[in-house]
Amino acid sequence: MFKKEEIKKIEKERLKWAKKIEDDKQLKKEFTTPSGIKIKNIYTPEDIKDVDYIKDIGFPGAYPHVRGVYPTMYRGQHWTIRMFSGFGTPEETNKRWRLLYEEGETGFSAACDVLTFNGIDPDDPEVDAQGEVGTSGTPLYSIKAVEEMIKDLPIDKVTVALVVECMTATSLTSMYFNAAKKRGYSLNQIGGTTQNDIGTMLIGYITRNSLTPQVLLKLACDLIEYCIPMKNAPRWNPINFTTYNYREGGIDAVQEIAFGFTNAIDHIDELLRRGWKIDEFVHRLAFHLSADRHFFEEIAKYRAARRIWAKLMTERYGAKDPRSIAMKYHVQTAGSSLANKQPMVNIIRTTIQGLEAVLGGTQSMHTNSWDEAICLPSDEAVKLAVKTQLVIREETGITDTIDPLAGSYYVEWLTNEMEKRILSYMGEIEAQGGFAKALENGWIFNEMAKAFHKRQRAIASGEEKFIGINCFTSQEESTIIPFRTNPKAAEIEIERLKKLRKERNNNLVTALLDELRRVCERKENVMPKVMELTAEGATLGEITKVYRQIFGVWELPVVV
Amino acid sequence: MDTGKKIRVLMVKVGLDGHWRGAVSVSSLLKDAGMEVIFGGFQEIDTIINTAIQEDVDVIGLSIHSGAHIYWTRKIVERLAERGLANEFILMVGGAIPEYDFEKLRDLGVYGIFSPGTLPERIVSEFRESVQGKKMARLH
Repeated sequence: MFKKEEIKKIEKERLKWAKKIEDDKQLKKEFTTPSGIKIKNIYTPEDIKDVDYIKDIGFPGAYPHVRGVYPTMYRGQHWTIRMFSGFGTPEETNKRWRLLYEEGETGFSAACDVLTFNGIDPDDPEVDAQGEVGTSGTPLYSIKAVEEMIKDLPIDKVTVALVVECMTATSLTSMYFNAAKKRGYSLNQIGGTTQNDIGTMLIGYITRNSLTPQVLLKLACDLIEYCIPMKNAPRWNPINFTTYNYREGGIDAVQEIAFGFTNAIDHIDELLRRGWKIDEFVHRLAFHLSADRHFFEEIAKYRAARRIWAKLMTERYGAKDPRSIAMKYHVQTAGSSLANKQPMVNIIRTTIQGLEAVLGGTQSMHTNSWDEAICLPSDEAVKLAVKTQLVIREETGITDTIDPLAGSYYVEWLTNEMEKRILSYMGEIEAQGGFAKALENGWIFNEMAKAFHKRQRAIASGEEKFIGINCFTSQEESTIIPFRTNPKAAEIEIERLKKLRKERNNNLVTALLDELRRVCERKENVMPKVMELTAEGATLGEITKVYRQIFGVWELPVVV
Repeated sequence: MDTGKKIRVLMVKVGLDGHWRGAVSVSSLLKDAGMEVIFGGFQEIDTIINTAIQEDVDVIGLSIHSGAHIYWTRKIVERLAERGLANEFILMVGGAIPEYDFEKLRDLGVYGIFSPGTLPERIVSEFRESVQGKKMARLH
């Protein structure tokens, strides 16, 4: 990008300048990003002298997508304000969603309770689960619950993200599809997302009585296949590789993208194995990333990720459709960066992380509430979280131009550096046989454990500064009365299921469950049968039981 | 007075919540501090108690991030009492616990409560003090 002679001149001047300050005090011996990249005191044209603007940076909405996946980005369309939300009962969740919509959010996202996550009904005689109904998310055990959750909401205009993973994604998505059909929508027009992520189920959280990575991959691909190449719900986003969840455990930005991409590769390869062509489905594979503490590393991460994805789709898979090479994602600001001491400081953390996401070019965003390190967000806190995004969007002017940080010597250098490291770490995962194999053989669990310990040590030693926790602490007592979920939720949901079981055709449901067993045994796509099942009132627990029964449970190789 | 017997800890996830970073980090931390830690993964209340007896642990660590920490603590305390094991084990609870609930948990008999951000030295010293305190109580 710069003439050779100019670079030589700059180098000469820089060395002069560096000599002058050589004995000046530095506050730290080394300045590194959390992923270990050494940061210099200054970046100059020298650091990007080999960058070819057209080849390496380009224009938004075109290969290599570094500057953004759409040609107009925020000048043409805002990112979606999509707040992860849900608790108590589907009715209470509906009420909170209305509040958020009135406050300015433009997309819904269903946070589900631990029973929904695990595919267990509250009246399951084998599991003691009633104490956890609705405590950390909304219960969604049947189509009835889903109907209540989306009651009177304009789901064709304001799409819903179902944050459930592959063991329950087929059930929940089909409940949602059937509920939408009942309301008169066609599946051709309905948009939305199912998270459907094997990574979240195995290393984001650990799952009790899980299925194996291979089975989870199969179920995830069943949903993708049903929606996209089979064209049953062409506007639906049937998967979000949710690296946010892996990141929250302590892995760094480089590992985050590497895990996400190798995870995606396993799904792509499986769908290709099933006979589909890349351009028939890959445009609907999306990501859910973190916005963590280090401002510039996160921004460089997003830009590098888009470039790697564009290259991967073009070079490895020969994708021809321009939509296939555009990496789309939602961002969640980092929950693990929030403190439960001096919690209002969290507002500042979340705001900065929100800025990263916007400067990095996200399509969608959730900003945390300041009380989230303590309890589920209260009304007041969540409203402020929405306002955080609105202030960035409306009052700062940073969306007036696309990818404003492009051309910064530091940012372009860091983007290149992130790309190198992400590709290298992807190589390590591929050496294990890919993401699913690396989960099966315990390698990923080991990397997660190493990351947990590293992060813990960094906070304990004060190397990672955490205001209110390991520095600038205060003796103040917390006066926060935590937000509580409905103590009657278990009662209400059990009653809802009782009523459903009374009203539905139980013989038909039993027969369909049996047919699902055969479908699973024959390793066919489960979705058509699950669509029939949830339309007839089969519950989440009943369907998931079949998966566990036929496919067998897997004990996660958790390393301490 | 016995010296040198390692403190034995059973670390478990209770209920269905799968947030595991805390349980794994703290297990490793306690190991580094010289304790024997059995990481039990997910366990039902009776299984937790059986494992605790089998492994002859001093401390049971419950890791809960679902918001149902009072529910589960109450259950295990009641079950221990039913099985004639009240005060047999030291109970520690870690997870997404608001400070507001600490007193309630202490009233139920929990010794230490560790929410996110608790510095490692505090966790280690509380584990040590709790076991030491129990030993002293037994001698008298």
